[in-house]
Amino acid sequence: MTTGASIVARGITKVYGSDSSAYHALGPIDLDIKPGEFVSLIGPSGCGKSTTLLLASGLEPVTQGSIEVDGKPLTKPITEVGIVFQDHLLLDFRTAMKNVMLQQEIRGLDKSVIQARAESLFERLNLKGAENRYPWQLSGGMRQRVSIARALVHDPSMLLMDEPFGALDAISRTQIRHDLEMLWLDTRKTVLFITHSIDEAVGLSDRVLVMSKGPGTIVEEIKIDLPRPRPAHLGEYPEFTKYANRIYSIFEKLGVYKFK
Amino acid sequence: MTAPMKSFRQRTAWIAWIAYPTLAVALCLGLWEALVRINDVPLYILPKPSDFLARLIADRTTVLAQAWATSVSIALGFGMAVLVAVPLALAIISVGTLERGLFPVIVFLNIMPKTVIGPILIVWFGVSPAVAVFIVFLMCFFPILVDSMSGFRATDPRLRYITRSMGASAFQTFRYVRLPAAMGYIFAGMKIGIVKAVEGVIIAEFIGSSAGLGFMIMRASSFMDMELMFSGLIATALVALVFNGAMLVAEKFLMPWNRPRHA
Repeated sequence: MTTGASIVARGITKVYGSDSSAYHALGPIDLDIKPGEFVSLIGPSGCGKSTTLLLASGLEPVTQGSIEVDGKPLTKPITEVGIVFQDHLLLDFRTAMKNVMLQQEIRGLDKSVIQARAESLFERLNLKGAENRYPWQLSGGMRQRVSIARALVHDPSMLLMDEPFGALDAISRTQIRHDLEMLWLDTRKTVLFITHSIDEAVGLSDRVLVMSKGPGTIVEEIKIDLPRPRPAHLGEYPEFTKYANRIYSIFEKLGVYKFK
Repeated sequence: MTAPMKSFRQRTAWIAWIAYPTLAVALCLGLWEALVRINDVPLYILPKPSDFLARLIADRTTVLAQAWATSVSIALGFGMAVLVAVPLALAIISVGTLERGLFPVIVFLNIMPKTVIGPILIVWFGVSPAVAVFIVFLMCFFPILVDSMSGFRATDPRLRYITRSMGASAFQTFRYVRLPAAMGYIFAGMKIGIVKAVEGVIIAEFIGSSAGLGFMIMRASSFMDMELMFSGLIATALVALVFNGAMLVAEKFLMPWNRPRHA
């Protein structure tokens, strides 16, 4: 099994467009993500969270600065990665299993090995029985589980998730959060997790990076020292409330929240 | 619902599927027959269904030969339109300059009535089935082109991120993602195209062909042969039905993932 990769970024910025229409979306920011670490980026809309994810995967080039993944400078999109977006982005013309097996077909991997991995992921993600169903026959939560299985089936060293549970209802979200944590505890991939939800960030992460916008920068780093696996109802931990309140107060200080 | 009930209903569903439309058609023809008989309408104004159906059977070899000629023109023109329009749509979508340059031309040609080119085609090709093939091509080309373009545009750009993270080549992305994603749109264009094709082929055969159902109907018109004209009308409708049915079968075969209509 592939272990997690490290991600080190120094002074990265992203400017979209040029001249008068240029938009400074991000940075400069630094990242130091250790192998197997679960790191969340949290911040208001438009603070460059998603941009950070695209830069860390090499899918978009940095405007300035440099990124190293496992000590190697990043120059083109990395393939040792699984990506999950807020929308499941499954292909509606493939069944759930075939959507996951797209990884095998495009990468030209051994079919029986990947098939076995896919089946075990379906088991762990409570997708048994969904194999031969098309995406339109699945619930929103199940579609997102299939999307997670697709991101993990090829055993990547890192998992990049951009608000993966954002479109789900609260009940599905709690369950899928737990399932993801259990999978992560077994495999220890490096995870970069982008979210709007303080519960998710504190509930899942080893470390939370709080971002502010205009242009996006990291304003605070919070180490989450809670035992794992974490319970469905995070309020069981008094420390959880402490961490959550800290993020709330940072947001209030930044003017993200304007409560009177 | 229990399993045997369901399978029984499935087994009998096709009977209803055939019985109801047949009954409706039979009722219409019966009413027609009765009204013409009661009012004693002369044959040269309006023939009875019994007249032209009998004629259709009596002249079946002629009608069948002309229907075959018409079908060949449709198949050739439609086939060429698909073979040119789909790759062209992909090229236009992929190359920005091509889209900017060609789009006004496409819009212009699309709104131009295609049949006006008929007399020019007669000068070029003479009175021959080639005129019909060319007009069929023009009639179905644009709906297929425009819908294929929408289809190739339809892929979510973030899906491209996912395939790139898989290390997919441009060809793999096309083969595994963009082409199947566009299929529904291409079929929508082809279904509009085939309807236009049948319309176009008959008009083309009226004005510039020496074979086909349109030619047969036009010749019957000059002899005031009402029975044969109505036989031609029925045959044309049947040809249209066969081509539309073929499209549905092809769609089911090529797009097995398609959501059933009554799901």
